[in-house]
Amino acid sequence: MLSEQMQREALSKCIVWFYDGNVRTFYSLDKTHKRALPNQGLGIRRLEKMLMETFKGQWETSIIYENKPNGNELAKFKKGARV
Amino acid sequence: MEEQNSQNAHFSFGEVFQNTKSFIDRYNNRQIKLTQKLNANHRATAELITRLYLKQLNKAAQLDNLDLENLPGFNTYNESLAKCKGCTKRTIINHKERLKQSGFITQEEHRGKGGVEIWLNPEVLGMAKLSTPLGDNVLKIGDVTSIFYEKAKNFHPLVHEHQERLNNNSKVDKSGTQKSGVPYGHESGKATGTGHEQDKNTEENANPSSKQQLKAPERYYKAEKQERVAGAGRIFLLSLIRQFWDYARKVLYPDLILSEPEVREILNLIWESVYGKLQSNATEKDWLKYQDTAFNRVNMVARWLTRSPGHWIPKPHIYFHPNNERNGFKKTWQWYVKQETLKIEIRNQLLLQQVKSEWQQHEQNKGRFREKTRLQLFRIQQKRLAGYRDESLNQAYQQCLQRCLHLQSLKPKQEAYAQ
Repeated sequence: MLSEQMQREALSKCIVWFYDGNVRTFYSLDKTHKRALPNQGLGIRRLEKMLMETFKGQWETSIIYENKPNGNELAKFKKGARV
Repeated sequence: MEEQNSQNAHFSFGEVFQNTKSFIDRYNNRQIKLTQKLNANHRATAELITRLYLKQLNKAAQLDNLDLENLPGFNTYNESLAKCKGCTKRTIINHKERLKQSGFITQEEHRGKGGVEIWLNPEVLGMAKLSTPLGDNVLKIGDVTSIFYEKAKNFHPLVHEHQERLNNNSKVDKSGTQKSGVPYGHESGKATGTGHEQDKNTEENANPSSKQQLKAPERYYKAEKQERVAGAGRIFLLSLIRQFWDYARKVLYPDLILSEPEVREILNLIWESVYGKLQSNATEKDWLKYQDTAFNRVNMVARWLTRSPGHWIPKPHIYFHPNNERNGFKKTWQWYVKQETLKIEIRNQLLLQQVKSEWQQHEQNKGRFREKTRLQLFRIQQKRLAGYRDESLNQAYQQCLQRCLHLQSLKPKQEAYAQ
C-alpha cells in the first residue's frame, strides 16, 4: 500500500475488477529511484506487469487512467489481454 | 608484390611491408573503439612475422618452384618469435590472437613439437584478387551517420562547470513526460531543458540560443532570424522521427497496443538513439538519405524476424534504448554497414572483371571495342568508372590497368631506353 503522498504524486492509476467481486485501485510508481524524473510510460508498464504476472488469472477487467480528476483512459485490459 | 622471374618467385620486402602497414592502417580506421585498434606492439609483431616469413619464402623459392596459388605457411615457434622480439611467449600468443581477429593472420595450425604454422592474408603478400580496398564505408553510406557513430563520448569536460543546484523556483520543467508528444527537451529547443548543455568533445555550448543571448543587443534580430530558420528544420526533423516510429511500429510491432505516454517515451528514445539527439548540422537532403538507411535497417530486422520463429526483438522501449548494447536497434548499424560494404565490393569486382575482359578481348581484336585504340578504350572505361565516384574503385582500376597492359614490365624497358 502506497502512502497518501505517493498516491497523490502518481501519474496514473489502475482500477481492477477481480473475479471474486473485489474492486481495487492501484497507483503507479513512476520513478526509477527517489530523485529520478517521473516517467509515466514506466509507471504504466509496471502496472501492466502487475496485472499480467502478479494477478494473472484473478481479474476480469482493468483500466489504467491518468491520476487526476476526470483523467483520460490510457489502457484497457480484458480477461488477460490488452484491448 | 611478387616479381616472377623466369623460374623463381621473389617477394620484395619493401612492398610487403607497405602492404602490411596499409592493411593495419585500414583495419584501425574501421575500428571505432581505441581498444579494438592494433597498437604499435601488434604492428611490430606483424612486421616481425612478415620479415621472417618472406625470408623463408625467398629461401624456399631458390630451392624449388613455389606454387603461388598455394603458398606454404610460415613455420615457426612461439618461443623463437618471443626471443626475436624480446618479450614473453604469452605476449606473442596474445598478439597473434589480435592479428587473427583483424584478418592479418588467416589460419594457424599447431604442430606440437614442430611448432606452429601461420598463413598470412594474401592481400599482405600482394597475391589477392583485384578488389577495391575497404575505405571508410560509413562516409560512402551517408554523412549524417558517420557523425553519430564515430563520435567519442563520455570525455570529462576540461572546463569546470558549476552544477545546477536544486531550485524550486526554477522555471525548468522537471517532469519527464510532456503533454505535446514532442520528443523530450525539444519543446523548448534544448536537450536537457536547462541552459547548460555542453558538447562532449568541443566543450562548446550546444544550445545556440544561450550563446546568442551573450552577444551585443544589435545582433538580436539576426539571432532571432537564425533561430526561426533552425526551428523550421526542427519541425522537419521531428516529423522524420514520427515517420520512423510509425513505420517501425507497422513493420516490427504490428499487434502492439500502446498508450500515448508510452509512445512519447519511445519517440524520445528514438530521438536519442537513432537520430543522435538531432545534433548534426546536416542538410535536409542528408537527413532524408539517413531516413532511408534507417528504414532499410528496419526492413533488415523484419526480414531477419521472418527467417526463423526463434528470432525475436525486445519491446520498443528496450529495443530503442540508447544504452542497449546487447540487442538494441543500434546494433543494426554495423550490420547495415557490413551489408552495404559487401554490395559495394561486389559491384566493384564485377566492374573490374568487365574492364579486364574488355582489355583481353581488345588484345585479341575481339569484342565491341576492337576498332578503338587503347587510349580510346581507356577513356571510355575511365568515364564509365568515374560515374560511380568511388576513389577506391579508381585505384583498383589503375592496378588493373597495370596488370592488363603489363605496364610494370614497360617501366624497366623505358629506363633502359633512357640510359
